[in-house]
Amino acid sequence: MRLEFHLEVIIIHMMRVNPFRKIRTFPGIEYLLAILLTGLFTLIFLPFRSNGGQDHTILSQLYLLPVVLSSLFWGLGPGALVAVLSFLALNYFFVPPYYTLLVHQTQDILVLIVFLGVSITIGQLVGRVSKSLAESHAREHEAIHLYELTMHLAGLQDEQDIVSALAEQTLIALRARRVDVLVEAQGDGPARHIRMEDRSQPSRFQNETPTYLCPLESSHGLLGEIQVWRERTPLVPAEARMMHTFASQGVTALERLRLSQAASRSRLLEESDRFKSSLLSSVSHELRTPLATIKAAVTSLRSETVAWDSVARDDLMAAIEEETDHLNQLVGNLLNMSRIEAGALKPERSWNSLADIVASTLERMRQQTQKHQIEVNVSADLPLVPVDYFQIEQVFINLISNSTKYSPERTKIIIHAERLNGNMLQVTVSNQGPHVDAENLERIFDKFYRVTAADKVTGAGLGLSICKGIIEAHGGRIWAENLALGFAFHFTLPLSVEGFPLEAGREVVDE
Amino acid sequence: MSTQPHILVIDDEAQILRALRTILTAKQFRVSVASRGEEGLALAAAQSPDLIILDLSLPDMDGVEVCARLREWTQVPIIILSVRESERDKVIALDKGADDYLTKPFGIEELLARIRVALRHSAQSIGSQKSQIINAGSVVIDLALHQVTRDGEEIKLTATEFKLLAYLAANAGRVLTNQSILSHVWEPADIDRVEYLRVYIRQLRKKLEEDPDHPCIIRNEPGIGYRFMVDD
Repeated sequence: MRLEFHLEVIIIHMMRVNPFRKIRTFPGIEYLLAILLTGLFTLIFLPFRSNGGQDHTILSQLYLLPVVLSSLFWGLGPGALVAVLSFLALNYFFVPPYYTLLVHQTQDILVLIVFLGVSITIGQLVGRVSKSLAESHAREHEAIHLYELTMHLAGLQDEQDIVSALAEQTLIALRARRVDVLVEAQGDGPARHIRMEDRSQPSRFQNETPTYLCPLESSHGLLGEIQVWRERTPLVPAEARMMHTFASQGVTALERLRLSQAASRSRLLEESDRFKSSLLSSVSHELRTPLATIKAAVTSLRSETVAWDSVARDDLMAAIEEETDHLNQLVGNLLNMSRIEAGALKPERSWNSLADIVASTLERMRQQTQKHQIEVNVSADLPLVPVDYFQIEQVFINLISNSTKYSPERTKIIIHAERLNGNMLQVTVSNQGPHVDAENLERIFDKFYRVTAADKVTGAGLGLSICKGIIEAHGGRIWAENLALGFAFHFTLPLSVEGFPLEAGREVVDE
Repeated sequence: MSTQPHILVIDDEAQILRALRTILTAKQFRVSVASRGEEGLALAAAQSPDLIILDLSLPDMDGVEVCARLREWTQVPIIILSVRESERDKVIALDKGADDYLTKPFGIEELLARIRVALRHSAQSIGSQKSQIINAGSVVIDLALHQVTRDGEEIKLTATEFKLLAYLAANAGRVLTNQSILSHVWEPADIDRVEYLRVYIRQLRKKLEEDPDHPCIIRNEPGIGYRFMVDD
């Protein structure tokens, strides 16, 4: 199987700078700093040491300062370390005898022990408060990023957009150097690969494996994964939790989209299914009728029991020819209908003369139009029109065939074309057939629609809807109208379209 | 050697082959049939038929390709049979050297008429030199003298009109595609300027035809091009 990935790289330059970032890059540096801080304070206090050695009770209070500071900045561990170090320094430098850890007076022992107890307790208290403060900051941070992500994901209707939003928000929330989100192909959709990079961070991860991976897991299995490259290590638990929450949010968004796509696909399928079954039921009848006529005529002609006179023979033969033409037309309409349904009906335009099209249509329909008087009023001097010859011929065939079906024999069918003001040609095919109720004038162009009163008329109810499809594909309009003494179809065709400027259709001046 | 013209039919539909064989034999033609392109090419080489009827959709190769390969070595008239859905292929086949086409389903009288025209056309081009005088109804065209008369009266044509008429008349009976006419009569760059052709055809018809709206001399080949009709 070939996975097709759409890789999209988006570079984000983040302006936010974290002042503690460098310090935090080495683990254990907090303890070193705590030791240095204790040393610093000891150096500051040393000059104030009095000879009597009675000031260590005050100093023991001053030594609480480094304990509190280090607990605040670097947490519980360094705080406790400073407490112990301060206790030792107090004893060594400030409790007589100096420069030994020996203590002579019981009072001093008490002071030192109280100091150790108090400093550790205060250190732990401060450390815990600062830790819980940091945690609540992290939670707030997490909540904000999660909110941002949900806002960005909300209402996205495109898989690519969802994947991009997920990658971008992950990059920002984790302050990562680079984030790749891979989503595997599903159904006929392509696989996706989105890369987001923060180029403001120095890159030490060229082509390396990602620092963190987080699967995008749905209830139906693995959809893909998030890959994170980040130089600061490691992910604190809150960040790891956030990454997983992001992943599950992303999965939810992807699944929501896929579900809604599946729903609309099945709706489409249902519609086309309905179309096909009504087409089948309508067409099977329409195909059998001419076939029955042909079969009957041929078997009659072959029959040896009847001696046909030449008039009867000719009649039967004419019926066969008429019905084969009819079948051929029906097949053409079916093909066109399926093209219109599939959205594949694109006119192959070239400059054509409407008079030529009408003439060749009538030639093709000679048999069918015998019983009517056809009057053509289409001047060969009309401007050329940029149309698909065969599609417009099909429109004429369908309109004329409709007219011959619905209007009484020996009446007139008039084909008329004229140039409207401006850029349009209007064609009218009128007959002396019955009226159509005003409310149905538009519906007759619907698929399978037939005026109920004319049930005896053959046809799959496709002809007029095909005309509509073709004329609209040409940028024109088609409509029907009841006349005082009959019925008319009108359609318009633009005289110029993109790629076919009006001037080209005008007379070419001869040399 | 028999004087009956020999026709090779290349079509993959057994029904059509059976019908054509029956009808053409009844009309005094010798008929051989092939249902595949390669088989057809081999038969054409072995039997040198006088005319080939070629279907465009064959199981082993495209009819257009069969047409092109035939034209590499023979000028035998080729009549294309195709369904209406392959307009483009039809034009390509005509440009590749086919003489005529028929759309399925077709009437047999029409096919026989096309066969007669094609055979006469090929007989003319084989018979030493082409006729310089062409008769079409009341119109007489003298290609050598650049003279056109209708009912004995001279008709004034512009240079382009005459060039167009001469090209059509020299290929009388054959279907000429819009593109082939444009490339012969106009500059190669104008091959898509169908509008030129439409306008000049209209002008020629006004001058030559009895009824320009129902032309008998320069006939339309819907969606394909034109055909110049001569007297039998």
